[in-house]
Amino acid sequence: MTRRTSTTALSPGRERAARRNVGETVEQFRREGWHLSVASMFDGVSRDAEMYQTGFAHHVDFVTAWEAPDPFSAASAVDRLRDAGWELLHESSWLIGPREFRPVPGAGRDPAGGDWAMFAFWEWNDHWQAATPREVVEYDAECDVAFQADVDAGIGIAGRYRMDAGSQWHHLAVWELPGVRTLTSAMAEHERVADFKFTTSRHYLGRRAPLSSILGDE
Amino acid sequence: MNDVIWIHKSRARHAWYGLDERQRAEFAETWHAADRRGAGAGAELIGRYSVRGQSDFSTVEVWSFASVEDVFAFWENRVSAGYTRWFAFENLFGTR
Repeated sequence: MTRRTSTTALSPGRERAARRNVGETVEQFRREGWHLSVASMFDGVSRDAEMYQTGFAHHVDFVTAWEAPDPFSAASAVDRLRDAGWELLHESSWLIGPREFRPVPGAGRDPAGGDWAMFAFWEWNDHWQAATPREVVEYDAECDVAFQADVDAGIGIAGRYRMDAGSQWHHLAVWELPGVRTLTSAMAEHERVADFKFTTSRHYLGRRAPLSSILGDE
Repeated sequence: MNDVIWIHKSRARHAWYGLDERQRAEFAETWHAADRRGAGAGAELIGRYSVRGQSDFSTVEVWSFASVEDVFAFWENRVSAGYTRWFAFENLFGTR
């Protein structure tokens, strides 16, 4: 999650250098085997880094999810980006956690990926923690109905990650969306099955944009 | 010397307040045992502090670990011991 910072105090030369160094650092991540694109999570094909524009609806300008080869690479990448000058350009929060499930592509998925994505953080609330095993099983079965409807509607579940070792959130799910309208109807189905009775959730909706355009167009 | 710091903020969930002292002690022993296993693997408890007066949480623990992987393993031990059933949390780790 990241917000643009004001670069008015930077000299044009220093700002250009930061943009160039950040671009080169992220390109080095790609060469080290990172998945820097949601589409790459599905097919493993190396692609240029992507962000999702979220400023139209959220308190941050961009959200993205990148996959590192290992936890140390993920943790040290934040320092490498800082050293490249990222913090001169953006005020950011980085969360790190391991993948839980393999991706599930949406029905009729475009191999080039969708133009929109949702990043869904959630924590299990006190009611979930106090639920009986039977209540949890019944809840999971109801939610599975909604997740199947998501996939049938063309939503790709790019990944689910454990975030609890390093944040307040238990999980992050990354969804690849054919369009915003699809997400609206999907959320209605998740409400119908009472998905949210056992969770506190935070969702970010964003439109795909290459990192290079974000570094270049400011 | 451990290079990874882990900061754990916690507060009791609603159900914890319904337990008596003996029940609390029994449950707490399950994750304290998990912590001792973690400590055996090189985790170091730097301290446990009360922050109720100025925080959404009641308690902060500060630990250090040799690696990020050790943080994940330590936390998984605690979750498996039932800790998060009784306590809400926010975690943070950082590298030196």
